[in-house]
Amino acid sequence: MIAQCTLSFVLLGVIGYAWTEYRRSPVVALLSACTAAGGFYFVWFPAQSNQLAEFAGVGRGSDLIVYTWAALSLLVMLNLHLKLRFQLELITVLARRLALANCATNGRAPAPEASPLRDRVTGSD
Amino acid sequence: MATTIPANWVICPAYNEAATIGPVVAELRRAGYRVVVVDDGSNDQTARLAADAGADLVVHPINLGQGAALQTGIEYALQQGAETLVTFDADGQHRVDDIGRLLEAMREGRAEFALGSRFIGHATNLPALRRRLLQAAVVFTRLTTGLQVSDAHNGLRAMTRRGAATIHLRQNRMAHASEILAEIARSALRYVEVPVTIEYTTYSLAKGQRLGDSLLILRDLIAQGLAR
Repeated sequence: MIAQCTLSFVLLGVIGYAWTEYRRSPVVALLSACTAAGGFYFVWFPAQSNQLAEFAGVGRGSDLIVYTWAALSLLVMLNLHLKLRFQLELITVLARRLALANCATNGRAPAPEASPLRDRVTGSD
Repeated sequence: MATTIPANWVICPAYNEAATIGPVVAELRRAGYRVVVVDDGSNDQTARLAADAGADLVVHPINLGQGAALQTGIEYALQQGAETLVTFDADGQHRVDDIGRLLEAMREGRAEFALGSRFIGHATNLPALRRRLLQAAVVFTRLTTGLQVSDAHNGLRAMTRRGAATIHLRQNRMAHASEILAEIARSALRYVEVPVTIEYTTYSLAKGQRLGDSLLILRDLIAQGLAR
């Protein structure tokens, strides 16, 4: 019972997390919520998970729960990746605004020297 | 020097292209085009050489990628009142003569975009593996956008002001080429394909895309599809 309550609490947290992420990436949020809901069901109805696991050829119901948990973790990682991409988009907009605000028409302004900041963050295509 | 055509802008995204940017810009200026070089956070003398050769200069404070540099160049050219915009690689693999053909084809075809194609034109010294990758990209683009193009990743393309205003690149790196075609398909504006020549050199091959980049492009396109 303690394990069931703990897992349920965590899975409810995942559903809440998926809800908050819906606006940014609805596909990931829906997948996370569905997987968490499935995990929630299996936690409280392990016999059903055994039947489903047997049907799916996974083995035991507990294995199915582990696989569900692994899938959930991967989805959360995917969401983190999407968040990082979103942050990069914001940085891009900021860098573009700076560049356009400081542009040199017809090369009249002196070209800037390579900066230490640039050296730290540059990466090749 | 030929008479400058103020409304025709050529956009050159450049990252550490000191070896080629000067001659490329000088040739474009001799042909009469306005040129904006977007220095994408280079560590070498790309910015100075571009400016010395007569280009307008926009400098990204950090390296963002070719797609981001192109979008910056497009926004700059539109701000300057460009009527037509041409994207042109800084590594010297494109021919300046082809720009005129692109602009002419766009006018004759009453199109908003003219896309260069090395596969109905010529590609010299194109390695077999890269040819296969580019052909796979064409199949992918046809399936995902519905555009029946023959070359999906050609950096030489022209667009009208109206066409350029519909382009909003979010793919910072190499996936921007696929994204541009997706944007063209979404805009439903008319496009034409024009045969062009790409001259691969040891330098441009070293700077160009590799096998692993195609996987990154695929990953970026999928990630963008998942996010809003």
